[in-house]
Amino acid sequence: MPAQIDFASLPKQHVPLWVVSPRRVLADILAKGWIESTIPFLALLCVLVGIALTTDDYFSPANLQNLAQYAADGGLVVLALLIVVAAGGIDLSVGSNFAMSAFVALYCFHILQLPVPAVLLLALASGAVVGTVNGIVAGLLGCGALLTTLGTMIAVRALFAIAAQAELVEISTSSRTDDLWDWIGFEKLLGVPIGAWCLIIVSVLVFVLFRQLRFGWHILAVGGNRKAARHGGIPVRTTVFLAYLLAGLIVGLAGFLFAARQNSISVADTGIGMEFFALTALVVGLGGFVPGKGSPVTALIGFATIYLLNNAMINAGYRGDFVQIWMGGIIILILTIDVRFRKNRHRLLASTYLDPVALDAGPVQGMKGLMPNEIEPKLRAAQILASGRVDGPEDVILDAEGNLYCGNRNGCILKIAAPDYSDVSVLAKIGGRPLGLAFDREGRIVTCVAGMGLIRVTMEGAVELLTDETSRSLFSVQDDTAIRMADDLDIAPDGVIYFTDATKRYDIDNWGLDLLEGRPNGRLLSFDPKSRKTRTVCDNLLFPNGVCLTHDGKHLLVASTWACSILIFDLARLSDGPRVFLSGLPGYPDNINRTSDGGYWVALAGMRNPIFDKVLKYPELRRRMTRRVPPTNWLFGNLNIGGVLKTDGLGKVVDALWDAPNGPLYMITSMREHRGALFLGGVTNDKIGRLALDGADAGWTGPASYWGRTG
Amino acid sequence: MLFASKARQAPGMTLEGILGPNDRLDQAPGMRAEQPEAMCVCPDGQLLFSSGMRIHRLRAWGNQAELWAAFDRPVTALSCGADGLVAVGLEGGALKVLDPGGRPVEGWSVPSDLVSVTDCLFLSRDEIAVVDNGYRDDRDVLSVAPWDETAGGKVVVIHRSGEPRVLARGLHCPMGIAPDLSGGFIVSQLERADLVDASGRALQPGYPGYLGRIRRTDTGYVMACLSRRDPLIEFLKNEEVFVADMKADLEPRYWISPRATPEFSHDFPIELGAARLFGDVKPWAPSFSYGLVIELDEKLMPVASAHSRANGSRHAICDVCSWNGELIAISRASSEILNLGRGSPMP
Repeated sequence: MPAQIDFASLPKQHVPLWVVSPRRVLADILAKGWIESTIPFLALLCVLVGIALTTDDYFSPANLQNLAQYAADGGLVVLALLIVVAAGGIDLSVGSNFAMSAFVALYCFHILQLPVPAVLLLALASGAVVGTVNGIVAGLLGCGALLTTLGTMIAVRALFAIAAQAELVEISTSSRTDDLWDWIGFEKLLGVPIGAWCLIIVSVLVFVLFRQLRFGWHILAVGGNRKAARHGGIPVRTTVFLAYLLAGLIVGLAGFLFAARQNSISVADTGIGMEFFALTALVVGLGGFVPGKGSPVTALIGFATIYLLNNAMINAGYRGDFVQIWMGGIIILILTIDVRFRKNRHRLLASTYLDPVALDAGPVQGMKGLMPNEIEPKLRAAQILASGRVDGPEDVILDAEGNLYCGNRNGCILKIAAPDYSDVSVLAKIGGRPLGLAFDREGRIVTCVAGMGLIRVTMEGAVELLTDETSRSLFSVQDDTAIRMADDLDIAPDGVIYFTDATKRYDIDNWGLDLLEGRPNGRLLSFDPKSRKTRTVCDNLLFPNGVCLTHDGKHLLVASTWACSILIFDLARLSDGPRVFLSGLPGYPDNINRTSDGGYWVALAGMRNPIFDKVLKYPELRRRMTRRVPPTNWLFGNLNIGGVLKTDGLGKVVDALWDAPNGPLYMITSMREHRGALFLGGVTNDKIGRLALDGADAGWTGPASYWGRTG
Repeated sequence: MLFASKARQAPGMTLEGILGPNDRLDQAPGMRAEQPEAMCVCPDGQLLFSSGMRIHRLRAWGNQAELWAAFDRPVTALSCGADGLVAVGLEGGALKVLDPGGRPVEGWSVPSDLVSVTDCLFLSRDEIAVVDNGYRDDRDVLSVAPWDETAGGKVVVIHRSGEPRVLARGLHCPMGIAPDLSGGFIVSQLERADLVDASGRALQPGYPGYLGRIRRTDTGYVMACLSRRDPLIEFLKNEEVFVADMKADLEPRYWISPRATPEFSHDFPIELGAARLFGDVKPWAPSFSYGLVIELDEKLMPVASAHSRANGSRHAICDVCSWNGELIAISRASSEILNLGRGSPMP
């Protein structure tokens, strides 16, 4: 007969609705990808404000339309260069290619009298031809991008000069007009010039390319690390070739728009210096020459900064050389600030990310006569199983037949066969870091995998991802939908899986920082296999860890590790929030599991101590410590000694199992009772303990207790 | 003056290079002794070492130790003069002088205000320099000294006939004394991790350990370290509010401090990197206790070192000396006399 828990009489556990902290907001903003564009964006703002203050009517609608019309082809060339640079290359031939494409468009339109769509296609083809040559030589043949494109720059410029000189008079004197041609060159749609629409559309396409398309990701991978990309199975040379080809096409489009707008070309002017202008814009936008980074918005911010600055100074009547001197100085200033910001951004993020708060777990209670220095270390009698053959069994579980299962650091679920537990085999390879385990009604293992989510494994080794995200928290700058550190779970009679995401801010390798922070960063989640919906049951818990359904199946116990307490939820009224089932523990509770006599086992992963309890009350000290002291020297709770507490059905500690101070069973993160023995696992251990329990029910098993299944 | 304060601050030595880790202390042959604390070499070549309230005599390494003298209080310091007289520091700030046969020699004027006798040194046949660290013997100096700014240590010279005189005062937890090359002496300070002269001027700061006793050798000096300096402890020295709270609320045994023994205890904290993996403490893990002996040249620069790392047991080296060309050290943690063999070669 399970103990009757009087839920209403238990003290309420305060759970904050949201965690407010300016430092956290700052850290979360600094962690955002778009923060890298801050300096270029501020530079653009400064340029805009400077122009507004010094030039009358610069931002009048008419002038803005004018700017948009003339800037479009330059913007397209910047995007083309962005693609090539993202793939780890460079293209010095964009200016020549631009001029040649413009010539081809004008030649096709005025001399060959082709329809405008055909002119467009041939202009694109012209750009693509140059891109193809660049792609073949620099990409497929593996010659240097700089030399290759320098060569095509010179060659195409010479070709352009010869062709343009031969046909310039005929083009200039052509009287052909075409509505579509003029519409592209001069008209506006919704007040925006057609050229600017082209720039917007291509920008969106490039954005989608880098965000959503496999080819875009390949470009970024190749640019980021060519060797790694090759090892990852990406066709590096083909990707570089296609990047040049795509860039050539975009330059061809830019030449076409230029031709439609200008209706003429100049051997001395068209495309001259365009490659350096585009490179400058790219460098200002990206904060340097950065392969592996595809950010069209940032690139266009850089382009707008340079374009407007140049345009405004020329409009103001300054001499060309004077403008260039100022441009150079301003660009160097922007770049210097930007590079410094980017270099220090991660340092700033690292120094602000940890956001400690005072934490007081209260005094140790209910442990009189049970502390390690007061009783015999009973775990000294434990038998050691699978020594050196498991690596970090955070949780252990036994099926009805007595076979033992545990997670392994290498991402496997291991099976250790009964009855002698000497045969260790791999049940399933998951990846990630398997932590908590539970059997469902059908006898499948459901496991929490840090870094992945909730996974189900059949006894045949088939792996199925159940869920890896939940709904986003209100008022969080950081996207916390991903389940970052799924820790432990249990399954209710109706099949709903309750599991913990111990911390939303740190991953498995840095979980210790969550203790030094001491904030309620974790949450209790549920997953309903019938609807396949994941729900956040309770957010803002203090490192929720072990989960255990009470014997009556009506309540849920959740270990709050840093609070050194066990919380309890009423499954019928989850919205009421948690109450405190047990508090004042002498250590940090990890997993919780049922005992055969109606109580609960609580694993202690480490021990509290007076000095660390005091340090937890000094948040600023902890913050300074993490900044000034090497991580290995950070003060921490004692993880070198742990144990197991046994409680009765109402949460009173009735026994404690400790190992000798330097014994092999030290950081105990889980335990399961099975047929009169207790099996113990530890997340940093390479062995499993088995302790015979005096007076325990020799027939009791977990699967029978949950699902009535017997071996 | 703008940069003067920075210029004075010599960079601290790290456990790298000559001071890099090894397991010399853990590999050294050892001899069990009950509560060993101090030792000295007599002119006749015998080694005297304290064991609780007794002093034992060792004629050669490997021989059976013989009882040489016994007292009613634990021995805290030992020194032997050129004529065979032995000065014995005792708990509570007492000092006895014995002849080579172990019989008391009367007439030495021991001041009554000595708090402790941490180390002593015969300056001549008639003068003994006594180091008093200022802490009562029932206080755990390792726990207390890092958090105490009081410079209550001193060096007092006592005479066979005549009044004692204070040779140096205002020292911060002095632990050992050794003659220098110019006829003066060098004092080691535990928490300041430096060597000073009689005026308190730092001769060489920045050692990587909390210093114990220092002794002359043929090639320079050899120095015992009670633990290695810990970045966490050094950081907390600037956290005055926290330290005041710690001292007010907790017993010294719970304070963050260097420790003498590498014991596991549920109510002691650890440093994050000291968490066991597969049950073992990694040798490179940070630890509050450590074994370290540093050999110095005549300019007080390290030339060799012997270590017992985090996974070792021969920590808290409280005394060391050169005996028959071999380095002998005392590990307070393992209660052993250790023979480190030949020291560093002559430069």
